[in-house]
Amino acid sequence: MQPSSALPREASFAAARKCVLVVEDELLIRLMLSDGLRDVGYRVIEACNSDEALVLMGTSVPDLIISDVRMPGSLDGLGLLAVVRETLPTLPVIITSGHLQATVATADGATQFVAKPYSLELVIKAVQNELAKAL
Amino acid sequence: MTTDRASEPVASSILIVDGDIVSRHVIADYLRHCGYAVVEAANTDEAMVGLTEPTLRIDVILCDVSALGSQSGFELARWVRTNRPELEVKLAGGVEIAAQTAAELCESGPHLKRPYEPEAVVGYIKRLRASRLS
Repeated sequence: MQPSSALPREASFAAARKCVLVVEDELLIRLMLSDGLRDVGYRVIEACNSDEALVLMGTSVPDLIISDVRMPGSLDGLGLLAVVRETLPTLPVIITSGHLQATVATADGATQFVAKPYSLELVIKAVQNELAKAL
Repeated sequence: MTTDRASEPVASSILIVDGDIVSRHVIADYLRHCGYAVVEAANTDEAMVGLTEPTLRIDVILCDVSALGSQSGFELARWVRTNRPELEVKLAGGVEIAAQTAAELCESGPHLKRPYEPEAVVGYIKRLRASRLS
């Protein structure tokens, strides 16, 4: 799990103070993604399922959410997306899955869909693109 | 909360095993701010994934004695002491839980209090590093 050297350095400045919530039940994927996002300057909070994500969102609202779909807990990723869309309709949410079609995720309100397996660079660029739109 | 970032370069990687997302998040955030690399595990099964991943560096484990999973926090600590003796394990828990398990804990001194006191955790890690270097 190396820092993403392919990413532009200026990304770190743009990323300053932005908070990304990573919701992923697989520890090694969550770690790779979270550390990669931290390496380019984002503040990252980690949840292993939707229940933890909702608790964290109750304490502070992130600037963007990346969520897997298939997870243990009360809600899967699309269920979490539905809750977020009710309360925070404009919050960028990137859905990742190895099983879902992109059209399903976006129809349900995902801002972007990233198919698994993915490269770290691809996800970081997706995050950067979404947060750039929000500026 | 004060931080010790300047005096404590990144040298240790801490695995936090805690099913309470708020406790885990607060102490993980604090330790990262102090310059430590942190791996968060929500239960002992996730912890085992990290502990058996050869590319993942872990130096110290902070484990809630009540952590959920196939093993309790105490069982995880015993597994580590048997199978990864080079790692330091510190159990954390409330006073009652600590008292219940104290009889079995003969190797590593008093518990860390939980909810965590961030400065106490950093102090523990610093003392541990100092003892290893001496």
